[in-house]
Amino acid sequence: MNRFNGDLKKIGYKKPLAMAIASLLVVACSTAGKPDGSVEVRNKLTQLQANPDLASRAPVAIKDAEVAVRAAEETGVGSEESRHRVFMADHKVDIAEAQAKTRLLEDQRTILSQQRESSRLDSRTREADKAHGDAAAARTEAELAHLDTADARRDAASAQQQNEELQRQIAELNAKETERGLVVTLGDVLFDTDKSDLKGGATSNLGKLAAFLNKYPGRTVMIEGHTDSTGAEDYNQSLSQRRADSVKSYLVHQGVEASRFTTAGLGEGSPVASNDTQAGRQQNRRVEVIISK
Amino acid sequence: MNNSMYDKKTKNYRCKNLCMSMFAASTMLLAACASTPPPTLALQAAEQAIANAEQARVADYASPELSEAREKMAAAKTAVHEENMQKAQRLAEQARVDAELALAKSGTGRANTVNDEMQKSTETIRQEMQRNTGARQ
Repeated sequence: MNRFNGDLKKIGYKKPLAMAIASLLVVACSTAGKPDGSVEVRNKLTQLQANPDLASRAPVAIKDAEVAVRAAEETGVGSEESRHRVFMADHKVDIAEAQAKTRLLEDQRTILSQQRESSRLDSRTREADKAHGDAAAARTEAELAHLDTADARRDAASAQQQNEELQRQIAELNAKETERGLVVTLGDVLFDTDKSDLKGGATSNLGKLAAFLNKYPGRTVMIEGHTDSTGAEDYNQSLSQRRADSVKSYLVHQGVEASRFTTAGLGEGSPVASNDTQAGRQQNRRVEVIISK
Repeated sequence: MNNSMYDKKTKNYRCKNLCMSMFAASTMLLAACASTPPPTLALQAAEQAIANAEQARVADYASPELSEAREKMAAAKTAVHEENMQKAQRLAEQARVDAELALAKSGTGRANTVNDEMQKSTETIRQEMQRNTGARQ
């Protein structure tokens, strides 16, 4: 009994000491008593969870890692089991991180492919622009060429038309094309014998001539009066001059510029037929209008 | 007096508690040794994880992890033969996460390669375009 009591007493004394040791141990556990490596693993996980690019990209794996890390933290220090759990936790954090990184890379691919598409599009747009520009330039050139051709054709057509018109008018005027120009011979029907004023019927023929000259304002006109050999030569010369002037004044009256005219009275010196016959003399009494080319 | 009464009670209680816990622990240990089956599930899972990693040809990107997994798998099987089932269980679990990590890392590596190629091809297009425009101007 005594011995027992003594022992009991001893235990009673030791009680506060044991409690103190126990409480020290508890304190130790809560601060530095975690298994080796578990703190590092926890830090790694915390970093992963704090990374905004990665945290949301592998939620399941991160949760798994969280569970594993907590399990590692809950084991006793130094045991085989704690080393195992720390290893597991470490690997699970690494797996979560790798998965999140993979997802991040995959998500970045959308942007990358957009960039690639946009630069491809850019390049095509530029090519197309260039092609379009080239095509537009070519089209413009073609259009210009076409216009030129059309112009040329129109010019040619109108030139031809004008030429035809001229020929027709020349024909109408009974004009002859000679080296000196177009020669219109106005017969003596214009004038009465010994007269230099125009007969009434002559005006229709002269009207055509006036119209022609007005149409081709660049041409100068030489008017030559001729007579037959009947009568005095001086008289004939002045008569032929008066007749040439008479024709000129009619044409000027019809609107043809006076400066375009030159007149000459050539008298009886330039017959076109024999003065021996009536018909010949009639042919010699004439006014020739020579229109420059 | 009061004090000694209390102590006696405590002593009795302690003795009983100790005996009981020792008994329980011994029976549990016995039971564990006698009837713990091999960690079939863990071994299967590890086997599967290694197969997955091999199928994904992770060797290019994460061969150390895969070798580790294979070695631990072999060790786990040895532990089963030695009837050290707890060791076998742990090795199998570790082999599994090694293989899973190998797979995950290879996924990252592959994704990185693809992205690099995309970036390169974009860069190529850009350079080509610049060259073309440069030649034109």
